Amino acid sequence: MHAHSFSPESAGRRRACVLGLAAASTVLGTWEMHRLLSVRGTTAPELVLVALFSLCFGWIALSFWTAVAGFLQLAAGGRLPGLRWPTAEEESAKLSSRTSVVMPIHNEDPAAVFANVQATYESVAATGHLDAFDFYVLSDSTRPEAWVAEELAWAELCRRVGGQGRIFYRRRTDNTGKKAGNLQDFCERWGRHYDFTVVLDADSLMDGRTLVKMARLMELNPRTGIIQAPPLCVGRSTLFARLQQFAGRVYGPVVAAGAAAWQLGESNYWGHNAIIRTSAFIEHCGLPVLPGQQPFGGHILSHDFVEAALMRRAGFTVWLVPELGGSFEQPPPNLLAYAQRDRRWCQGNLQHLSLVMAGGLHPISRGHFLMGVMSYVASPLWLMFLMAGLVAALHDGWVSWMHPAAQPVDVGFDTVGALRLMSVSMGMLLAPKFLGLGLALARGEDAARMGGRAKLVASVLLESVLATLLAPVMMLFQSHFVFGTLLGYRVSWTSQQREDADLPWSEAARRHAVHTAVGVALAVGTFALSPGLVAWLAPVVAGLLLSIPLSVLTARASLGLWAERAGLFLIPEETEPPRVLSRAQDVTEEHAVAPVADAVDHVLTDAKAHALHLALLESQPGLEAVPVALASARRKLLGGSVEPLSAPEKVAVLLDAGTLAEAREQRLTRVAS
Amino acid sequence: MQTSRPSTLESVWVRPETRAALDTFFQGFGFTSDEDLAALAFWVLAGACEQGERPQAAVALARARMETWLAGVLGREAGGSVLARGRAAFVLCDGARLGAGLLMRGSVPDNFARKLRAAVPVPAPAQVPTTMPEQQLVLWPFGDLLRRWFGAARADVSTSP
Repeated sequence: MHAHSFSPESAGRRRACVLGLAAASTVLGTWEMHRLLSVRGTTAPELVLVALFSLCFGWIALSFWTAVAGFLQLAAGGRLPGLRWPTAEEESAKLSSRTSVVMPIHNEDPAAVFANVQATYESVAATGHLDAFDFYVLSDSTRPEAWVAEELAWAELCRRVGGQGRIFYRRRTDNTGKKAGNLQDFCERWGRHYDFTVVLDADSLMDGRTLVKMARLMELNPRTGIIQAPPLCVGRSTLFARLQQFAGRVYGPVVAAGAAAWQLGESNYWGHNAIIRTSAFIEHCGLPVLPGQQPFGGHILSHDFVEAALMRRAGFTVWLVPELGGSFEQPPPNLLAYAQRDRRWCQGNLQHLSLVMAGGLHPISRGHFLMGVMSYVASPLWLMFLMAGLVAALHDGWVSWMHPAAQPVDVGFDTVGALRLMSVSMGMLLAPKFLGLGLALARGEDAARMGGRAKLVASVLLESVLATLLAPVMMLFQSHFVFGTLLGYRVSWTSQQREDADLPWSEAARRHAVHTAVGVALAVGTFALSPGLVAWLAPVVAGLLLSIPLSVLTARASLGLWAERAGLFLIPEETEPPRVLSRAQDVTEEHAVAPVADAVDHVLTDAKAHALHLALLESQPGLEAVPVALASARRKLLGGSVEPLSAPEKVAVLLDAGTLAEAREQRLTRVAS
Repeated sequence: MQTSRPSTLESVWVRPETRAALDTFFQGFGFTSDEDLAALAFWVLAGACEQGERPQAAVALARARMETWLAGVLGREAGGSVLARGRAAFVLCDGARLGAGLLMRGSVPDNFARKLRAAVPVPAPAQVPTTMPEQQLVLWPFGDLLRRWFGAARADVSTSP
């Protein structure tokens, strides 16, 4: 099916406005840059510099005009055209559809995962629409200990809420296709039971009212394929995480509203906290395996953008609906965890380059691919821009290795013009922050719940300073990831760190040594060239030189909590937590799951774990252990060897009910004698 | 549970190896006290014929007894997965806390029966198998067009071989 628009008539005007203004700003900015650099004629390094500037400035301009659109949308109020919302009468009716809420997990902390499921489940139950929902925890866990702990946590959750028959647990033995494959497996087994599927992440939490509203919107809008509820980052205590939570709460709505305002029914899907029309997803969103080798070939890593594009290609709309609310996730606790997540996303987004020109896609879907690529490529472009600037300055003699006294007095450089262009760039870069701040200040209630107007302003200023210092570090991280991906590094798919543990100085020093060295080299190099140039690069140099202490200190929960007590970076979800958030927190604390030290040992010694594991094994016929691993595990386990089982051997034993029963019997007999 | 010499349970004489096998079986339900295990062995073997005294046959009898008991309480047919799931439910409800008498009484307290039924693990509903067809994406339609003009064999289609 060919791409065609289902968005309302105003879509063209909205897009022309945002994209046109972004394009016009880019042309003006580039022209001004060229004027500044061409005082002594145009050289090759300057042309490269101008080209890099136009790309970087274009990216900033698009973000700026999107934020302006979001600001106007939020200030004007009202809903976006295109989606039919329920009337009061429709809102009170029972849901006629069936929805599955699925949470794919991979070696996560089961206490947090199942606490979130419980809070979401109870929140749905409180709406009176529980009959319309089923819940699935779809495990791709590879660690045997995580597997056994998940089984116990699932059974315990079902016992607490009476959820057997409504909260399901399934573990895959092979992780083909990773998260996308996990979802595909769900769709191919149980998808046909449900009209809609809500996809969650391992740290997702959703208010029951939001889930009901999303299901109702899907019922009322039969050509809608996906509705994305933008998740708000909440629930962490480290300074780094609280900075992200604050930024997401103050500036995020402006950006999300802006994107929704011009993308309308061709919006994007972020992979979780979204509802999907299951039949359309099954029929039209089976992911292809891309030809060629990694990084561009193979299984699609970042499946969400591609699924949105395929859904749109099939004639179903994809909506970003910020006003839904009640959609939460957790940010990474520190800079390194953030970078680790970015490394994974980077390869996934770069892989989308090969899909930009694919046949039949809607132009906005192509735009999403390019925007995803740009969100990572912008960093190396910025880095190259800085380097090209230095080269051009040297090449054209704006600066030189000569002693300052020996340099020409009047180099003819338009410093005022350069400062003006830099100010405009910085203004556009910071505008989303100040637009978000303006909205929060205007809404007195919001401001009060964020510590009051004075502390809110102070928080924005402090956050801006810290974000500016952290940005060069992320620039180097992302540049490394982009170049690494292009050079063919493999991305390993591990679960991300989700707990608020302090970051050791040694670890930070190891990870940021290169960043610090680059900072030193940049400072020394620019000072040697021209002391005045150091001032231009001060934010970059300072961020890099401070990368180690910044990384360690922002990873501290103590500092985050101190800031909270001081009323800094507060978000309304901290001062007045929604019921679903506080419930998840309470459940996590009340029902902490004891860690499983050794999965096989636990299943053999704990009657509950043993009985449950065998019952679950029996319900999944056809699972087979790897014969070689099972044979060697049996030799060790039943032969009385003291040699510990390897992870594959543990998995093999856990898949074989006969061996487990035999080993338990042997162990009990040994204990008895 | 150690049974170092043949034990006599009222009128039933049990070989040590048979008793040990039965103990292991019922320990899987969470029973640990000697009294409970002895009572359960008696419950299984009472009225059993000679073969019942051999460990394997005794365990088979115990399985059948428990299947019947669980099927009765859970309201399901005996056999299939009743034993595995029922045992899991029994352990999750900590049924052993109520003692061996629970199994031997004619009726089970309603409250416990409800708890047991609610605890039967249902890891997933019945499957409705379907296939998610792999979508085809022509990654470079212009290149594909050129290839066709020049008669190249294979299009640049992003789908698994």
